[in-house]
Amino acid sequence: MIAAFRSTKGYYGQVGLRKKQKYVNSNISINKITRYSAESDVRNPIKLLGDIAADAWSGRDLAWRLFLRNVRGMYRQTFLGLFWAFLPPIANTAVWIFLRQQGVFDTGEMTVNATLYILTGMILWQSFADAVMMPLKVLNQNKGMISKLRFSREALVILGLGEVFFDLAIRMLLLIPAFVWFGVSLSWAMLLAPLTIALMVVWASGIGLLLMPIGSLYQDVGRFLQLAIPFWMIITPIIYVAPETLPGSLLVWLNPASPLLLFSRDLILVGGSSFLLPAVLVGLMSVPLFLLGLVVFRISIPVLVERMST
Amino acid sequence: MIHSATSNDDELILDVDHVWKIYCRNLKRSMRYGMRDLGREVFGNGRDRTQSDLRPGEFCAVKDAHFQVRSGECVGMLGPNGAGKSSMLKLINGLIKPDSGTITIRGSVGAMIELGTGFNPVLSGRENIYINGSILGISKSEIDAQFEAVVEFAELGHVIDSPIMTYSTGMKMRLGFSIGANLRPKLLLIDEVLAVGDVGFRMKCFAHLRKLVEEGVCIILVTHAVGMLNRVATRSVVFDRGSIIHDGDLETGCVVYEETMGASDRVGNKGKSKAQPSTTGVALAAVEVVDLNGNANKEFETGQDVVVKVEVSSDRPAKQLNLVAALWSPVHGRIASMSTASQNVEFDVAGHVTVTVTLRFEKVPLLLGAYHFNLSLYGPVSTDFHHRVSGVGNFRIVGPPTCSLGRGINGIVKMSHQWKIK
Repeated sequence: MIAAFRSTKGYYGQVGLRKKQKYVNSNISINKITRYSAESDVRNPIKLLGDIAADAWSGRDLAWRLFLRNVRGMYRQTFLGLFWAFLPPIANTAVWIFLRQQGVFDTGEMTVNATLYILTGMILWQSFADAVMMPLKVLNQNKGMISKLRFSREALVILGLGEVFFDLAIRMLLLIPAFVWFGVSLSWAMLLAPLTIALMVVWASGIGLLLMPIGSLYQDVGRFLQLAIPFWMIITPIIYVAPETLPGSLLVWLNPASPLLLFSRDLILVGGSSFLLPAVLVGLMSVPLFLLGLVVFRISIPVLVERMST
Repeated sequence: MIHSATSNDDELILDVDHVWKIYCRNLKRSMRYGMRDLGREVFGNGRDRTQSDLRPGEFCAVKDAHFQVRSGECVGMLGPNGAGKSSMLKLINGLIKPDSGTITIRGSVGAMIELGTGFNPVLSGRENIYINGSILGISKSEIDAQFEAVVEFAELGHVIDSPIMTYSTGMKMRLGFSIGANLRPKLLLIDEVLAVGDVGFRMKCFAHLRKLVEEGVCIILVTHAVGMLNRVATRSVVFDRGSIIHDGDLETGCVVYEETMGASDRVGNKGKSKAQPSTTGVALAAVEVVDLNGNANKEFETGQDVVVKVEVSSDRPAKQLNLVAALWSPVHGRIASMSTASQNVEFDVAGHVTVTVTLRFEKVPLLLGAYHFNLSLYGPVSTDFHHRVSGVGNFRIVGPPTCSLGRGINGIVKMSHQWKIK
């Protein structure tokens, strides 16, 4: 029977075609065949990745619309508007600077201004944490849509990434007056920072994508992450200088948040870093991990939708 | 089987081939099974599962469903709540995977499952048209081109720049339908979204759907509003407890659906008649519907004679019995009630003897639908109660067709009438 089909599209395989077929009147010329069965899509990984790519491409318009909806919806009912995006890193930095000045904790010997050091770390950390939580957040926020309508699921990941990068970009604006105030000199190495920061977000999103299916079934994961993220921030060298000797140096080597975050901060503030090796290792793993996360995200959605509807 | 041949008028658009879907009602187990199923999917071990592979707590929401839809067909999907209609729609829409069997679709699928999905209450109607359109798969340029038509169809031009939160529920649904009305897929899935706005707007929606069918769009329409179906549907598929119990003409489907509704009214005995044992020994032993020739029959046409034979048994002599028969429709409730006493027909039963009481309806005026009787047996006075049975003597009126479009007769009974114009 299957042999008679000109082409068979796997699970979700047809979303990419939808756009072409809209508004084509009764003489619909595109007659692609979609086939659903119990067979796992991972049995044909090349086709699966192709479908993911096609749906991600076709979902970009939807992701943009949803992004605009969320941003406009979020700030339209506020008086202070975008100021709320700046507030968390400013408030966090202020608290930690105050505690440092009170001698509550030892930050180690810093080569750059402590305020700038902590502020930059806080901005990057906030984006890392947002990216880890992002897949679970977009799934929960759009449960109604996911369980009722077929659309490019990858659009939700693009939407989530867009929101993380948007918030990151707004927060980064804080660094401009801070750089001027503290007289930070610019260097060519700084130009590399956007790439490493992007890899950090991709890496964190990959972790989040792998956690999302379990987190959607068991709320324990979401609750655990909410509880764990503040502790995770403490054990990441953000408000103190990264230890260079064992066992403290393990905070860099074994902590998935540290390598790219610390490397990016060093690039921004001093134009070079001693965390090159761990950053390169994590950077090399980030894209494959994200792609693996995308595959898991895609194939888990039908299983999760069943649980949303029963 | 869907072939890849060039398209023709009756080309196969949807082929649902022996599809099963299994759910679990127990939340904890469902989560646990979800983890296992996820593992199977990730490691490529997804396999067919049917009734014989149920794990504890699981049940079949869809059992061996098998039907096809061809180009230009509009199929009404009927069934009581929990029958498997929405699960079937989700399977066709690709939201969930079948546990066994295959679903093959030629061309694109559009869905109007929940109107106004993704609306943000703070944003204006104008902004939300673009958002909802994108979710439905319509691009910005396409919405730009159709924007005025959408607003005009929804009749919301005067409030289109106000936040959606200021709209009434009906206005939001009208806007949602109007956006969805721009979908031109090969197969359109519609789930209970036609109760939109006032009568005028509903008629506009039906007119739009008829136009789509004429253009060659297949429509699968899930609704409980059976009376509205024949405005657009030409065929019905009826689900009951996960299985397809009818796939064919709309009229019979509606009757079968009414029967399933009656069966669910008589829940607890799975559609069988409900009878309590007689406390006096005088009982309604058996009920049968027969035609004029005395042959058992369950299907009649309006105007034919319907005969109900009731056997009354007793283990002791009983005198001056009165049988009360109430005719019921699962959808409309009690249609009529009659008793032997009303025609001064009293009867006696000797001990250990069965008496057959015959109730004949000449030229029955009932229109399309499913019907049954509730019978009660009394003594000479209404406090002398002997026995009662419900949901017995089921029969269907299967023709001639009725018309809810105002071009024929419709309702429960055919009234003798004449029109005159001066």
